[in-house]
This record gives sequence, structure tokens and C-alpha cells, in this order.
Amino acid sequence: MKGINGKKNMSHDERKLTRRNFLKKSSMATLFGVTGGVEIVPERPVPRGSERRAEVMNVGLIGFGAWGREIAATLARIPEVRLAAVCDVYDVMLRRAERAVPDAARVSEYRAVLDDPEIHAVVVATPTHTHREIAEAALAAGKHVYCEAPMAATIEDARALARAARDAEDLVFHVGLQFRADPQYLSVSKFIRGGALGKTIMSRAQWHTKQSWRRTSPNRERERALNWRLDPTISLGLVGEEGIHQIDTAMWFLGGRPTTVSGFGQLLFWDDGRAVPDTVQTVLAFPNKVHMIFDATLASSFDGQYDLFYGSESTIMMRESKAWMFKEVDAPMLGWEVYARRDKFYKEEGIALLANATKLDAQDLGPTDPIPGAETPLFHALKEFTDNFFFGPFAPSAGYREGYEAAVVAIRANEAIVGNEKRAIDPALFDLE
Amino acid sequence: MATRFEVVLWGEDAVRLRAAGEEALAEIRRLEGQLSFYRAESEISRINARAARGPVRVEPRLFRLLERAAGLYVRTEGAFDPTVGPLMRAWGFTGETGNVPEEKTLLEIRRQTGMRYVRLDPEAYTVAFDRPGICLDLGGIGKGYAIDEAAAILKEAGVAHALLHGGTSTAYAFGRPGEAEAWKVAVPAPGDDDGDDLLAVATLADEALSVSAGSGKAFEAGGKTYGHVLDPRSGRPVEGALLAAVVTGSATDADALSTALLVLGPDAVTRMANAFEGLRALVVSPAEEGFVVRRAGFTEGGSGPRT
Repeated sequence: MKGINGKKNMSHDERKLTRRNFLKKSSMATLFGVTGGVEIVPERPVPRGSERRAEVMNVGLIGFGAWGREIAATLARIPEVRLAAVCDVYDVMLRRAERAVPDAARVSEYRAVLDDPEIHAVVVATPTHTHREIAEAALAAGKHVYCEAPMAATIEDARALARAARDAEDLVFHVGLQFRADPQYLSVSKFIRGGALGKTIMSRAQWHTKQSWRRTSPNRERERALNWRLDPTISLGLVGEEGIHQIDTAMWFLGGRPTTVSGFGQLLFWDDGRAVPDTVQTVLAFPNKVHMIFDATLASSFDGQYDLFYGSESTIMMRESKAWMFKEVDAPMLGWEVYARRDKFYKEEGIALLANATKLDAQDLGPTDPIPGAETPLFHALKEFTDNFFFGPFAPSAGYREGYEAAVVAIRANEAIVGNEKRAIDPALFDLE
Repeated sequence: MATRFEVVLWGEDAVRLRAAGEEALAEIRRLEGQLSFYRAESEISRINARAARGPVRVEPRLFRLLERAAGLYVRTEGAFDPTVGPLMRAWGFTGETGNVPEEKTLLEIRRQTGMRYVRLDPEAYTVAFDRPGICLDLGGIGKGYAIDEAAAILKEAGVAHALLHGGTSTAYAFGRPGEAEAWKVAVPAPGDDDGDDLLAVATLADEALSVSAGSGKAFEAGGKTYGHVLDPRSGRPVEGALLAAVVTGSATDADALSTALLVLGPDAVTRMANAFEGLRALVVSPAEEGFVVRRAGFTEGGSGPRT
């Protein structure tokens, strides 16, 4: 276990989060169960070593767009993290950083972040096609890396970055598939993988919004760069930039990798000279004959975003980190569901599946009631990253392998959409050797 | 905030204006998620749940906003108080009808009210409550703040002419619409639904207008009449002003100051206008027949003098 700062220098306050304390805190935080008080033991690996790696984690954030700002605001809530530097190539973003993170250094070259010996870790939140170069350079500079998803825009780049992360054994590498770190998702994943659906029939997910996906700037050159999502030569489109999270959830819950993907893409509404489809559908075929259907549009916000997992005994819906189970009439009784809370969705009645159900019962809260002090998936993901830095390395819930596999599927799915065709996903692609 | 926000942009290129407008509205949504008292995962909810037990670290921008709210609390003599929520609920000001809380309850809640019990540490960006029960609700300032932040994003994106408003009660404008000389926003008199009777027509040039009206109905209980405005300083409803409107450079300030003037009433108009540079204000109070308007600098437009 290497210690960048020796334990001897720790002040009384900084010592608060010792390993023992961490274990206590993390098991508290990840205790969850389904309604009725069935508690499932968390999967998070036990950290190795006995000393924390440093007193404070100095983080450099590369990319200060909308999501980068969300990351900065979330990091600000983790007391052991100091956001030491913010990097963006656009001066407007750096001016925003001056207000949002006044104590952080502001630089326009990511190299300056990597060259700073005080910085332990970097978060890469730049346009997808630049992830590989920056994350690889960060690993080479000895920085721990949290790389946003998709981890790259081409399979070649994703593979190279995944290999670099695998080979950097002493460095922690997380990919921003943040739902994997969310206790509610973890809870439902266990539930589904434990057979709650009966026979799995299919999965369906949607991401609907009404917005142009366009950015603007008084500087035309800057505007072109800001609109990388609308540039078909570098963009992975809706399925890659948004759908990857829901496709990853399906791969996780269904426990497999798709073998083919059929795609359809249309430009129906945003008639502004763009070439990237504003509406897409894909069908991903899994080896056990189960299909996942994903559709996304920028032209209708109807019913927003959700994931459905259909089974012969029940269907599970996930929405905004909440989950419901809809049982078939001939499904066996599970025992606890008579005590569970129910919500009406038109003619269906959903049984709420709640992480931390016993705690909520104690507070007399219903499934749609807000849970006081609840954290976002991003918070859980960044907290896991910092925990891994301090007490790891342990296998992250979304590391280079999960990140790579999701990227491969998203890239193939986008190719299928662009070509309006069916593409095979060769199992050999997932091999990182 | 649960408010409908709108942006009106004027310019040549509709595609680019729309993109800028979307970014501004996305920032408002982000802030709503962060500031909402009613959302469990909001940063305000997290502070309310934890700050009585010890310092809670918050995002630097939110910290600045809390400092600003604390400053406005002092400068408005406590008439703007972001911790007043529990009192409002006790008096039924958030519902349809008012009710008189028991003296004992009232005493207890008053002990849990006051921005002076909120500790802000600018070195550590932490918030702590001196006592349990304190509850921050930035509803009286969050709308204005969201509008200020959205306006900054529009300007950064190169938009030259825009009007933004939240729930029609707080507006901010810069540039001008088309050939018109300026953005103009009318303030109707209380009870005027068809815009015939205007108190003022504000010309907004890099300025915000905020209008506040009584949040509850005056009500009778136990043979006593209670007013329609809750005074955070006394913890009791007062027969405050019917309406207060202010124009100033920042929508954040405007939002808080119109709320404060409603509590402070007509006698404070000049005092507040002197205390805040560039502030134009008017306060409408009930009179035997109709109402009277007291103005400080806010004389533009309107259907004639009434003071």
C-alpha cells in the first residue's frame, strides 16, 4: 500500500475517516433491501490494506461543461475531496469555474493538471472523442482516473484505454456509468438476478426529451467544438451519449452481452442542418433469446426516461432511482408483498421496491415520498471513486471492463442506427487480451 | 420553486437563440433541483436534514447565495428571513385558510426561526444551524437567483436582447425587443385582472422587477382579525402591505426586497430605497376606499399619481 502522505502527518480531524470508520460508514450506507425488510448484503468489496492513501484527495476536473459542473458541485459535498484544478479549453467555462470553484486553479491545457504533482486524481468530462487521449495521459502521469461514459468514441480507442487502465495496477480507474454505484440499482439488480422476474421475457428502455441538443457561442469556431454531439464524424448519437447508461443497466441486470444490434435512426424534427438523427430505435439481442429495445428522441418528452424488465412472473420498472414491481396474477406469493406499499399506474398496480426500506418504514414514508437527504447516482459513483482512492484498490462497480463493454455495445448500436441495419457484435470484441 | 419560467429572446438566428434559451432553462432546472425545499435530494433538503448536527459542506455558489441571503436578512431588518417556513406553516399561510397556533407551539417555533441561527463558514464553505428545528427555504430568493444565473448564461452565449421571468412575479431584461426602445413590464393594481388599472410600467434595462403580494388571506379566529402577511420578526401575521414592487439591478435582490417591503410596509419604502443603491420601489397599502400607493423613485408609467 503506498502512502502519498504518511499517516504521521494526519491531524486529529483528518483522522476521522480511518479504515475502521470507513468500513462502518460504508456498510451503513449500502445496507438496502426490498420492502418488507429483506436486507441484502452489499456487494462492495472489502478494501485492502489498513491505511488510507492520503488525508485529502486532490482532484483535477478536465472539462467544465454542463456535466463537468454537476461533477464539481457533487465533489464539493465530499469533505475529503479538494477540487484543486479545473481545466477547460473555453474561456467562458473557466469564468464559470471562477465563480463555482473559486479555490481551484484554472487552466486551459489538461497537461498542466497532469503535471501538477499535488493532484492525485482526475475526472475526465470532456467530449467523448477526447477521452482516450486525456485519460491515457493521466494514467501515464500516475493519476487515478474517473472517466465519463462512453469511455471512447471508437472501439479502438476504448480498447486501448481499457488496456492502459488494466495495466496501471496501482491506479484506480472508474468509468462514469454512475447507476452501477446507486444503492437502489444495486438492490434491484440483486432482486432480478435472484429470479424475481420468473422467466425473463424482454427489456425496454426509453430516453425522451424535447430539446435541440445544440449549444451556442458568440465565437463560431467555439460553437462548432461545443456541438460535437451533432457532428456525425465524432458523435455516438443519442444511443451512445445517453442510451449507454440504460443499455449498461440492461447488460448488468440481464447478466449478458448482446450478440447483435439492429438500429433505426431518423431526423424528424430538428431541421437545422444537422446530420445526427434526432430519433432512434435499437433492438439488442442477448444470447438467451431475450431482446432489449431502446428508443430515444429529442422531439417528444412524453413519459421521460425509464427502464422496464419484463418477466413471466413480474415486470420491474425503474424510474429516477425508484423501482416498482408489477406481478402477474399467477405468480407465486413472495410473502412480504402484502406489507408493501403500492402505486397505481393507470390500470396496473406497482409494488414499490425500496432500497433502505426498513429505514423508510421507520420514518413512515411512502414509495413516492421524497427520501430526506437522498443522494444522486453521481454522488454515489464519485464517493465510490474517492473511497477506492483512500482505501482501495478494490474492483469498482464500473471499472475499465464494464466501461469497455458498454462502449463497444454503444458504438456498434450507433453504427447500426446510422446505417439503418443489423450489426453483429462479435464476442471476441469483448476480449481485452 | 414549482414555478413556470419563460425566456423571450430577440435576434436574427432562431436556431442559435433556441440553443441559448435551452441552456438557460437547463440552468434554472439545475438550480431548482439544488434549491428546492420540497425535493428530498436537493442540497437544501440535505442541509436541513443535517446542519443542526454539525457543519455541512455545500457547493461554493450555493454558499455565496446563503451569504447573500444572510446579508439581505440584516439589511432588511429581519423582514426577509429564509428560515420563516415553519412559522408560515404553523399559521396556515401555505394552505387555503389561516389558523392560530397555540401560544406554546408558537413560542417553540419562534425559537427555531431566524437567519441569525445559521452559521456560515466562508473558509470551509459549510453551513451549520445553532439549534435543531431551523429550516432553510430559499423560496423567497431562489426564483430571482435562478433568473440572474440564466441571464448570465444567455449573455455568455451571445444573446443581446432577452426578457426572463419566473411565475410573472420576478422578471429581468436586457437589450430591447426589435424596434422598441426597451423591454417594458406593467404592474397591475391589486384586484385588476384585465390590465386596465396599472400601478406602473417598469422599463427594464439590465434590471429586474419583482412583485410580491400577500401570501395568505386575512382571517378571523376567536373574534380577532389576523393580517395576511407574516412578519418573521414577531412571528405573527400583520396587516402589511397589499403589494410591493421593486426594480433593481439584480433579480436575486429584487425577489428578496419585494418580500421584505410587503412586511415592512409603506413607511419603509424610502428607507429601503436609500439603503439599496439604484432601488426603485412602490408599496400598496389598504385604505378606507381602495388603496394608497407609496413610491420611491418608481414613478414611470401607471394610470396617474395616487399618493
